[in-house]
Amino acid sequence: MATFSPLIDRLLETLRVLPGVGPRTAQRMAFHLLERDREGGRRLAEVLGEALEKVGYCERCRNLTESQQCSICDDARRDDRALCVVESPADLLAIEEAGGFHGRYFVLHGHLSPIDGIGPGDLGLDQLEALVHQRQIEELILATNPTVEGEATAHYIAEQLRALGVRCSRLAYGVPMGGELEYVDGGTLSRAFMGRQPFGEQG
Amino acid sequence: MELQPAYLLHRQAWRETSALADILTLYDGRIRAVARGVMRPGSRTRHRLQPFTPLHLTWQGEGELKTLRIIESQGPGAMLAGEGLICGLYANELMSRLLPLSMPVDTLFAFYAALLEALPFPERRGGALRRFEITLLEALDSEPVFLDEQDRPLDREGRYHYDPSLKRFRPAPLEGPAFEARALGWLARGDWDSPGLAGTARVLTRQALAPLLGSRELRSRELMNELMRRRRTGAR
Repeated sequence: MATFSPLIDRLLETLRVLPGVGPRTAQRMAFHLLERDREGGRRLAEVLGEALEKVGYCERCRNLTESQQCSICDDARRDDRALCVVESPADLLAIEEAGGFHGRYFVLHGHLSPIDGIGPGDLGLDQLEALVHQRQIEELILATNPTVEGEATAHYIAEQLRALGVRCSRLAYGVPMGGELEYVDGGTLSRAFMGRQPFGEQG
Repeated sequence: MELQPAYLLHRQAWRETSALADILTLYDGRIRAVARGVMRPGSRTRHRLQPFTPLHLTWQGEGELKTLRIIESQGPGAMLAGEGLICGLYANELMSRLLPLSMPVDTLFAFYAALLEALPFPERRGGALRRFEITLLEALDSEPVFLDEQDRPLDREGRYHYDPSLKRFRPAPLEGPAFEARALGWLARGDWDSPGLAGTARVLTRQALAPLLGSRELRSRELMNELMRRRRTGAR
């Protein structure tokens, strides 16, 4: 690629920290901001700077927020008895968007992965234990991913909290809605089969 | 290249949509390979490329880092959960740490597959782990030889210490922990899953693995110890 300005080169290079942005996309973004929408670019720079400066973890659930507590923890209408443990803020949002859950969350920001050296200390598990202890939580929903690491994390948390007498549950394995059995992978299908539900009992 | 049976030992994200995979294959031993595009949302191979799942693979590339081409799963893997899962992670971490790349280890592959079958059952777990560890030690030319330092048979009534550098046993003083020659005799005959020998077998394989692992503790073992510690304090 021809270069004509060190500053633009730096801008292109920097834009590529974003996921999904390669050299061509970076170039399109940079020229768009410089040629068509400088005002938008300024806003972007400003808000980005402010967000990086101020956004941290909610002191209660470790969700991302610029306040001490996130809006979910602040919401008095939510059910204190159910706590859902997720690996990432993106997982939390997915559950919120799916609807149906009105309890509270705890965000681990990762999962146990011995080979990578990620241990219980990196996931705020002591904070989780203190939370379950203080808040009289009745059901802990372990919504870590259905991967090997997510499974190990769920097991570890359940063992850690067993002494507190909290009821733990795990998301079920299932066949995707509107899917066809033929195309479902074998692992999911066999687990869905084992976790089948009684049928025809309601109305 | 024909499809080759394989297991994923570990993977980590690489670039944006790819993964760097550490793989145990039947004929080529451990390989490292890039799985392109598996981290893309909706990628069908994403679900397949999981640890403990029997895979069939092809790859290309002459260098140390290969590129995976075809990834097929051969039926669902062992349904590991809880402690069985952590034992599986332990086996994977051991191979990732100790196996050199591209060294054929077909016997180890077979014992690893047998281990995965056994892990869901607590009563079969210990024996299968020990057999796996011994096969790994054999592949690395570090397995205990049930002879003394001068290559003489062990005295049936004796007590011994194991010396990993010689792969042989030395007579132990009367006091303190030591291996009973009688128990070693059973192990020499390949009796790794007899319940009475579980403690001896575990200590012996651990001592034999220690110099290979060096000073860096296995993370999965730390995790298991931590879990046991919590369970004990929780039970009080």
